[in-house]
Amino acid sequence: MTRTVSRSLLSLAAALSLASSASAQGTLKIGAVTSLSGRFATFGQMQQAGFRVAIEELNAKGGVNGQKLELLLEDDASDTNKALTAAEKLVNQKVPVVIGAYASGITKPLSQYMSRAKVPLIVATAVDETITKPGNAYTFRVNNQSSVYTRSLIDQLRKLAGLKTAVVLTSNDAFGKSVMTDVTKLLPAAGYTLLGKDTYDQGLTDFRPILNRYKAQNPDVVIFASYEQDAVALTKQVKEVGLNPRVMAGIATGFALPDFLKGSADAGENFLVTMVWNQDVRYPGAQNLYTRLKKALGGEEPSQHAAQSYAAMLAAADAVRRAGSADPEKVRAALTTTNLSTAFGPVTFRTYGGYQNQNSVVGLITQVQKGKFVTVFPASASRGKIILRR
Amino acid sequence: MDSAQLTAFTQTLAQGLLTGGLYALIGTGLSLIFGVMKVINFAHGDFLAIGMFITLALFRAFHLDPYLSLLVAAPVGFALGYAIQRFVLARLGDRLSEASMLATLGLGLIISNTLLLTFGAQPQNINVPYAIQTVQLGGVQLSIPLIVAGLGTLASIGGLNYLLYRTELGRAIRATAQNPLGAELQGVKTTNIQAIVFGLGVAFAAIAGVLLMPLLYAFPTVGENYTTKAFIVTVLGGLGNLPGAVVGGLVLGGIESLGAFYISNNYRDAYGLVAFLLVLLLKPEGLFGKTVKRV
Repeated sequence: MTRTVSRSLLSLAAALSLASSASAQGTLKIGAVTSLSGRFATFGQMQQAGFRVAIEELNAKGGVNGQKLELLLEDDASDTNKALTAAEKLVNQKVPVVIGAYASGITKPLSQYMSRAKVPLIVATAVDETITKPGNAYTFRVNNQSSVYTRSLIDQLRKLAGLKTAVVLTSNDAFGKSVMTDVTKLLPAAGYTLLGKDTYDQGLTDFRPILNRYKAQNPDVVIFASYEQDAVALTKQVKEVGLNPRVMAGIATGFALPDFLKGSADAGENFLVTMVWNQDVRYPGAQNLYTRLKKALGGEEPSQHAAQSYAAMLAAADAVRRAGSADPEKVRAALTTTNLSTAFGPVTFRTYGGYQNQNSVVGLITQVQKGKFVTVFPASASRGKIILRR
Repeated sequence: MDSAQLTAFTQTLAQGLLTGGLYALIGTGLSLIFGVMKVINFAHGDFLAIGMFITLALFRAFHLDPYLSLLVAAPVGFALGYAIQRFVLARLGDRLSEASMLATLGLGLIISNTLLLTFGAQPQNINVPYAIQTVQLGGVQLSIPLIVAGLGTLASIGGLNYLLYRTELGRAIRATAQNPLGAELQGVKTTNIQAIVFGLGVAFAAIAGVLLMPLLYAFPTVGENYTTKAFIVTVLGGLGNLPGAVVGGLVLGGIESLGAFYISNNYRDAYGLVAFLLVLLLKPEGLFGKTVKRV
C-alpha cells in the first residue's frame, strides 16, 4: 500500500516536473489516456513507463520539427466515463494525437468519441477485435488483435510432429470465449482431435476435478486462457494432480505477466505462453528497451504493455514529423503511411482482412525455461529452442 | 471403467473429501456459535480471511512457515472472537436476533474493508517449496498442503470434541447451550462462556484460513464464498449439530468435486446449493435430524 502511494506520488511529481520544464518554449504536446489508478493500475504504470522512455529518447535526439515533446497524461481511473472526459480535455488543448486507453472496454467508446472529434487515436494495448474491425478512419492500433495470440500458438502446434490430441479450458468471459471460438475452429484444421473443451466462472479456485478428468484422457496438448490469479492456481494444480501432457500452453493475459513466474514457481516450468513482445526477442534495440523500461519502472519487470506504449509514442511523433504540422487531420493522413522499425517490432497501419489501420503484429511463443520467458517461435525472432515436457 | 478412469475418480473423490474437511472445519465453528448463542455469524468467512492474511503478513515479514503461523492466528482469532462477543454482541440484548445478525454483517464489512486498505485488492499468494509437492498412494496423487489441511481439520475437531465432553469447561458450554438460565443458576458464568464459544468459533475459522493459504491465494473478499459454504454445511448437517457439520462438510466437498468431474465444471457451486435445497425441502431439520439443539 505505502509503496503504491509513494510510487504514484513519485510518478506524479515526475509528470509535473516534465510538464513545467517543457511548457516554457512552445512544446509539441502529445495526449495520452490510461488507467493510473483503479483495477487496471498495474497496466497503466506499464503504459506510463513506455511513454516516458519514448519521450526521453525523442527529446534526446532534439524532439520533432524543432520542438521538444511534452506528454499530457490523463488518468481515467479504470473508468469509461472518466476516460471520455479526459479525452475531451485533451482535444480542447488541441493535441495533434491521443494514445490510449489500456482496457478494451474503455478503448472502444474512446475510439468512437475521438473519431467524432476528428483527432486520431493510437491504441497501444487493447486487444478487442472490433476496435479495428471495422474500426474507423481515426483509430490506429499498434498492438495486435486478440486472435493473433491463438493463431500463432496453433501455427506452432501444427509444426510439432507426433502431437494429435488436445483439451482447452478458458475463463467464461469475452476474452476466454473468443479464444475458445478460435481454438475449436483452428485446432481440428491443424490436425488435432479436441478431447475436451470447458469453461469456468471467475472466482473458481479448485480446478482439480476437471484436471483429473484431463489426466484420465491423457491429451498431448493442454491450452488455458485465464487471468492472473486463475493462471497461478491452475498451474499449481496441474502439477498437483499429476497432469503431464507433452505441451502446456497459456494464451497471454494472466500467463504473460512477470507475476506468473513468481507465483507459479517450478510448476510453470516449460509452459508455452503467447505474447507479442519479450525482452529476448530479436528486434534491434529490444534488450536496450527492456533495460530502460525497467529503470523507468523503478526496477520492476516490464511487461509487453510497456513496449507497446513505447512504440505507440514513437508512431505518434513520427506521424507529426512527417505531417510537418500539429493539425490532427494532417497527422491522421501521415499515420496511414507509417512505416517504422522499432524495438517493439515493425509498425505499419494497413487495411486488410476486414481490419482498418491495424498493425500486423507477429505473435510470439515464449516458453518458461529456468524461470524465465524465452522466445521460441517464430524462428526469425527467437533465441531459444522449444522443449517438450516428455 | 478402465484403470485410468478409476484412478481419476478416486483422486477426485479423495481431493473432494479433503476440501470437504476444510468446509467441515469452517462449518463447525459456525455451528458451535449457533448452537450456544443462536447467533448466525455472517462474518465467519471474514475471520477466515483474517487467518489467511495473518499467515501472509508473517511470511512476508519474517519468512515464517505458514503452518507455524497457526500459533499466532488461532490465539488472535480467539481473542478477537472473545472481545466481539463480550463487547459487541452481548450488549445487543437477548431478544433481538436480527440485531446480532446485522452486527455480524457489519463486522464482516469492517474486516474486509480493513484488509482491502491494508493489503490492497490484488490476489496474493505465498510460495513454499512443499506447496506443489505430492505423495502417491496407489496411483492416487495428493498434494501435501491438502493432506496437512485434512489432518489439521481432524486434530481441531478431535480437540473440540475432547474439550466439550471431557472437561469442566465443556460441561459448562453444553449447559449454557441447553439452558442459559439454568446454567447461570448453577453457578456458570454464561457471559464468559458465550464469549469463549465465540472465540473458539472464530479461532476455527482463522485456523481454516491458515490451512488454506498454501493452497490458495488471499484477497480481501475471499471470505464471502466460505460464509456461504459454512452455511450450507451447517444446514446440511442440522444447525447446531457438530457431528452433522462434519458430515455435511464432507458431503458438500464430495458432491462438488464429483459433479464438476462428471457433469460440468460450470455449475460447481450449484451442486452444493441443490443439495442444500433438497435437504431443506425434504428434511428441514438437517440430515441428522432430531436433536437440533445438541452441541
